[in-house]
Amino acid sequence: MSLLTAQGVSVRLGGTTIVQGANLSLRGGELVALVGPNGAGKTTLMRALAGLVPATGSIMLGGQPLDSMKPRDRARHIAYLPQGHIFHWPMAVASIVMLGRAPHADPFSSTSAQDHAAVERALMTTETLSFAERAVTTLSGGEKARVALARALATQAPVLLADEPTAALDPRHQLVVMELLRNAARAGNAVLAIMHDLTLAARFADRVLVMDRGRIVADAPPTKAFAPERLAAVFGIQAVSVEVGDKRVPIAGRAL
Amino acid sequence: MKTIRIELALAALIVTLAVLSLMVGPAGLSPRAAINGLISGDGPAGVIARDIRLPRTVLAALIGATLGLSGAALQGLLRNPLAEPALFGAPQAAAAAAALVIAFGFAPVTSFAVPIAGILGAAISIAGLVAIAGRRASLTVTLLAGLALASFAGAVTALILNLAPNPFIALEIAFWLLGSLEDRSTDHLAIAAPFMLASWILLAANARAFRALTLGEDAAASLGADVARTRMLVVVGVALGVGAAVAVAGAVGFVGLVAPHLVRRAVGSDPARLLLPAALAGAALVLAADIAIRLGPSVVEIKLGVVTALIGVPVFLAIIFRERRLLEGAPS
Repeated sequence: MSLLTAQGVSVRLGGTTIVQGANLSLRGGELVALVGPNGAGKTTLMRALAGLVPATGSIMLGGQPLDSMKPRDRARHIAYLPQGHIFHWPMAVASIVMLGRAPHADPFSSTSAQDHAAVERALMTTETLSFAERAVTTLSGGEKARVALARALATQAPVLLADEPTAALDPRHQLVVMELLRNAARAGNAVLAIMHDLTLAARFADRVLVMDRGRIVADAPPTKAFAPERLAAVFGIQAVSVEVGDKRVPIAGRAL
Repeated sequence: MKTIRIELALAALIVTLAVLSLMVGPAGLSPRAAINGLISGDGPAGVIARDIRLPRTVLAALIGATLGLSGAALQGLLRNPLAEPALFGAPQAAAAAAALVIAFGFAPVTSFAVPIAGILGAAISIAGLVAIAGRRASLTVTLLAGLALASFAGAVTALILNLAPNPFIALEIAFWLLGSLEDRSTDHLAIAAPFMLASWILLAANARAFRALTLGEDAAASLGADVARTRMLVVVGVALGVGAAVAVAGAVGFVGLVAPHLVRRAVGSDPARLLLPAALAGAALVLAADIAIRLGPSVVEIKLGVVTALIGVPVFLAIIFRERRLLEGAPS
């Protein structure tokens, strides 16, 4: 079932068209990678899907038009993980993750047992429980990435949008985060992740959306989406294909 | 639990300081005489406690609370521990308008024309800020416009000092700008309190947004916060409260910057939980400064803004020293 559907979505920012006529559908149980060169419009498209930037066209969230939803309602259905794992204050990890429950909070009461259960689950899934009381600013990059993901998971929204969740992580943490995203998808969520690592995308994603100059130019399983001609045309690279486990994955060979 | 503890401790401190504030002055009162005078209103002790020292004490607490709360709210909004109430120009505008009245309106410093002008000045500066930056402006644009307005208001004040009809008025303005609670009455309280109250409501209503903003504006918006609305409410709230505070007491510096830092650690840096303790800490700080003034030599009254800075800066430096690493955000 499609949890989020976009049809003919375009975004203009400061007189420039950043995203043009994007069509996509995210189904429950699916991990979809959104790839494309720098400046292709991936982040803008994702922000439009999250309702953070005005867009034309139609975006339906669980059968409802996104722009007709109240912000809190929308926030219960879409968890958005921005780039860069930003934490401005040295708050405790548990308090940060509790922020994921904000869309569920009743303005007149404090956190519920359900909130605490969701936070604990998110902390356990991301293996961040052991430093739940530490100030988030004192953590390493890999730990911060997991906390950021825990915050998004704590919302328990059916749709998870993650912008470069593996950026600036060491190889092991990249795998850890991708496993977490895949598990979130297996639990029935629709997960869309912007990625630059085509190898990781090919290994973990069920489907790949390739973006180029504001348009989605491919929407296919990894092997098809990463056809050598397309990688040459979109990324300007000559890719080498290797086998990892039972998957064929591309590795950037040389720049064209 | 930890939060409630700090709030209780600060409340107890404020009550103690308030009683002290009723006792201290040219005519000293014992705690008992001060409280009896306050309750009964009889005799000289009654006049001193009720009519002279009570308005001063309540104003000190309200102004301190407003400054502390404003500082905490702005730091929450801007995600920056350097933010302080003077950032958007409202206190400078209030000071300029008040100086104008003192210089050319022939109003004595303690007349009501001064606070009313101050509040109007602050209101005009907010209207100007909103008009220049636009209702949904980005943070950078709002800050730049605020900075410009603050500089402009500062220049206007300097111009007024420059053009003052005589040196006594210039001196009067200069002293007024340093802040004081001397000879403030219940009427001053009545003028300023509604604005401060309105500002508290506006700022406190955004507590949850401040907490969400620790993740940045996009993540906060994705969690259901209306960031543009929060920004507008905070700008207006700070201008109302701080404008009113400056209008009745002159510029009381540093409280808005320091008060949040005094209590941030106790609330685990949570920008939402910070609001109440920061307000209480601000109230205690201004009360203590106003008491210190009256304990000093009585020939020349040291100005309130001078004392808040003299008390605030060393405390502030001590905190910076202790929390260098946290403030730098570097992994320890």
